[in-house]
Amino acid sequence: MRVRDVDDERGLALCEDAEGHRSSVEIALVAPVAAGDELLVHAGTAIAVGGASADEVGCGDERSEAE
Amino acid sequence: MSLKYVDEFRDAGLGRALAGEVLAAVEPGRHYKLMEVCGGHTHSIYKYGIDDLLPANVELVHGPGCPVCVIPMGRVDDGIAIAHQPGVIFTCFGDMMRIPGSHGSLQDAKAQGADIRMVYSPLDALRIAKANPDRDVVFFAIGFETTAPSTALTLKRAKAEGVANFLVMSNHVTIVPPLRALLDSPDLRLDGFIGPGHVATVVGARPFEFIPADYGKPIVVAGFEPLDVLQAVHMILAQLSEGRCEVENQYTRVVPYEGNLRALEVLAEVFALRPHFEWRGMGFISQSGLRLSDAYADFDAELKYAVPGVRVADPKACQCGEVLKGVIKPWECKVFGTACTPERPIGTCMVSSEGACAAYYNFGRFAREREVV
Repeated sequence: MRVRDVDDERGLALCEDAEGHRSSVEIALVAPVAAGDELLVHAGTAIAVGGASADEVGCGDERSEAE
Repeated sequence: MSLKYVDEFRDAGLGRALAGEVLAAVEPGRHYKLMEVCGGHTHSIYKYGIDDLLPANVELVHGPGCPVCVIPMGRVDDGIAIAHQPGVIFTCFGDMMRIPGSHGSLQDAKAQGADIRMVYSPLDALRIAKANPDRDVVFFAIGFETTAPSTALTLKRAKAEGVANFLVMSNHVTIVPPLRALLDSPDLRLDGFIGPGHVATVVGARPFEFIPADYGKPIVVAGFEPLDVLQAVHMILAQLSEGRCEVENQYTRVVPYEGNLRALEVLAEVFALRPHFEWRGMGFISQSGLRLSDAYADFDAELKYAVPGVRVADPKACQCGEVLKGVIKPWECKVFGTACTPERPIGTCMVSSEGACAAYYNFGRFAREREVV
């Protein structure tokens, strides 16, 4: 997901996925991040910066049905 | 919107070239059996037809790295028991809703009146808890080391903010013990592993060193794009042909060899290893499950609510266990695509998009034949 805005005080980033859906993402594990960064997000938490693609799924991405 | 990295890793020309290199790396007359550990890889392989690009003597078998698939029926029953407690709001990921327990799924329990809500993340469950301070909100946490940090960070938030009505039923599992169990199993002869890229993002590549060191098998940690998987296959075959046996990292754009140290610290603070945990089809595996640590015991739903805790055998017709161990292919299961479909699943592997059965079904792999190009 791509970072649109960062709320440093709450440790959250507003992120957007490839389809334009936006959600709050926990960034404690990858901070500091900046608008424009690509994050690898699992269950609402960014676990890495960079490398995320449009529809990657991996051990733990259980959201597929919901999406 | 075109995302960085996507186009480069789906380039058809590069794919064909890489497939040619894979073909050149195989020894004629030798059969190679490689396991992709992660359900995300299984999904990619069938979505993009990667197996069709491989030589006929390179067989991919599917491992236990689908978090929804490995949840045993007894744990679903335990979750449903908590969901039926007066005043409880029970939350879980979407796929989890349809996993069958011995007397129905969480979706069925919801239809019977339990307040069960689908969430996208544990943070959503925490928001529900804050909005409903007079009710307990239980999050049914599942997943490997990839999702466990999300649960851990949410618990830290709940503790810091004093949200005492937020509880977690932890079903988090770790990837190394089932791999060791598979390698110790006489049922399966494997030549190498495609390692789980996203789990490795958290734990790093180092925990997989036991595979070459103790079992003499190569492992390549890989990304999830088609060229990632093809390159990983090529790297494994190159190791085999050169007589090497080591951990290699194909997914260097995301995976540091030592993992995400902040994530590992949070996991160590919030979770503790259970002595053993039951896996669907694989039985109890020592030190493979995570419970909440003593420091977070107040948030542990299993300490607050009594659960049946009964081990329930899988339905006789279901062969998810053999599928999860790579012993059979989905189409070899008696009920695959007939009595068991994504619309009416009998086994977990048909529910999650990461499940091998769902991948085979959704991408039209109903039989042994594959079209090698």
